[in-house]
Amino acid sequence: MSDLTTEQVGALAAALGLPVTLDDLAEVTHRLNALIEALEPLAELALDTVEPVPGLGEPPGS
Amino acid sequence: MTADGADLAFLSARRIAALVREREVSPVEMTRLYLERIERLDSRLCAYITVVPEAALETARRAETAVMRGAPLGPLHGVPYAVKDQFDTAGVRTTSGSRIREDHVPTEDATTISRLNAAGGILLGKLNLTEFALGGTQQFPFGQPRNPWDLDHDPGGSSSGSGIAVAAGLCAASLGEDTGGSVRSPASFCGVVGLRPTWSRVSRHGSFPLSWSMDTPGPLARTVEDTAWLLQAIAGYDAKDPLSSRAPVPEYARTLGDGVRGLRIGIVRELTFGPETDAEVREAVIGAARCLERLGAVTEEVSLPLVPFAGAVFMALADSDGAGVHHRWLRTRAGDYDQGTRRRLLTASLIPAAIQQRAARVRALLRAEMRAALARHDLLLCPTAHQAAPPIAAARGAITGRHEVAGRFFTRRSYVTPAALAGLPAIAVPCGFTESGLPLSLQLIGRHFEEATVLRAAHAYERGSEWSRRRPPGTT
Repeated sequence: MSDLTTEQVGALAAALGLPVTLDDLAEVTHRLNALIEALEPLAELALDTVEPVPGLGEPPGS
Repeated sequence: MTADGADLAFLSARRIAALVREREVSPVEMTRLYLERIERLDSRLCAYITVVPEAALETARRAETAVMRGAPLGPLHGVPYAVKDQFDTAGVRTTSGSRIREDHVPTEDATTISRLNAAGGILLGKLNLTEFALGGTQQFPFGQPRNPWDLDHDPGGSSSGSGIAVAAGLCAASLGEDTGGSVRSPASFCGVVGLRPTWSRVSRHGSFPLSWSMDTPGPLARTVEDTAWLLQAIAGYDAKDPLSSRAPVPEYARTLGDGVRGLRIGIVRELTFGPETDAEVREAVIGAARCLERLGAVTEEVSLPLVPFAGAVFMALADSDGAGVHHRWLRTRAGDYDQGTRRRLLTASLIPAAIQQRAARVRALLRAEMRAALARHDLLLCPTAHQAAPPIAAARGAITGRHEVAGRFFTRRSYVTPAALAGLPAIAVPCGFTESGLPLSLQLIGRHFEEATVLRAAHAYERGSEWSRRRPPGTT
């Protein structure tokens, strides 16, 4: 996934009704790109058959 | 009693309860002592947002009357405690550390508060936290909380005041809330004990939410025994929290002294020996492992390859939940948030669904990885944090590039979020000091609902070491 630009992030925020100031926008873009980049290597794992559930109701001792 | 005020203030909660029961000290005397210390010391520490002296003294007087009458006494009878200002307290404002909630006065106690009061605790006040328990607050609305071991250093968060107040003798014990390390991090940086129970072991009712599948109230105290007694008071099913567990609550104190002989402990390689872990931290944690070996435990290295990703996985999931909780205020009161909180929540509001779901699937794999390790070991051992408390200034200022983000947010969270993502119980116990005098902390992680094993090992280590006997400078 290529980096998001401040313009793209600003447009996305505006579409969602989020009031992002110009000061906020640069940092929000850095944060979002960093999170996407950090999770990028995990795309190589075999995740398709993994259920995305948080594991509620774990029995005692498990 | 011949002990001076500071000696009394640093007694364990259980010792205070015993002295009250034996009429050696009065609950009023103990409450006045802590109120005087808060008045004298807290202007520079900022552990408290709200102190309730009149209500505390009134509760203390009733507690004293009960003692003198020979009435049945709860296990924490006469013990002055304080709570993170994330928990509702009837008639006492509950800010969640935010201007947005600065005038919020609940009409009902959180279940944990009701239970601590029913056990005989005396509420002294509400403790400072990072805004909405999120972490990354730049300007604290109710004052910058400071580490009692060095005022220029971070006390940890989000339950910052809960760590400070216990470390500085401004209460006997405290309650925090741990979504992704918020009890264990301040315990680590402030040199006290902090326990994250199994998710669902303790009711979340009346605690301002961040992430429904990870939020977990937990105690902070100066001894492992105290954390066991506080957990005893707050654990158990609550009809007001439909996700709270109906699993029976064992008597935690009964097995506390059973030792570690024969316990199998896995030392998490990536967190203990990884490149992000400071040398002083590594040395202290390995020293703690050797101590547990001398006490009879069997240790070996275990690899959990996904834990270095836990910090980022956690932020993709918990922050998304938080963005949902805050979506109305973000649109209508964005300027009332601290800059750090607002930017974190705005970011979380924009996380692509594919990334969020990838994180959820990796969480399931991480949980399976940890369960497999805990099938072979009774406990997992690692540092609570990769470094001692950093300077407050290190986390100040805007982020000017994405490479700063990993260092400031993901790395440190990868030490405490694996247990949170897997819903496992974990404890932070003091295990040494840096050369400059800042506390270091050992983390022990157990199987679901096996807090008794976690507490028993932590207690054995604590008894075999001397770290919890030190007091921060300037707190006498």
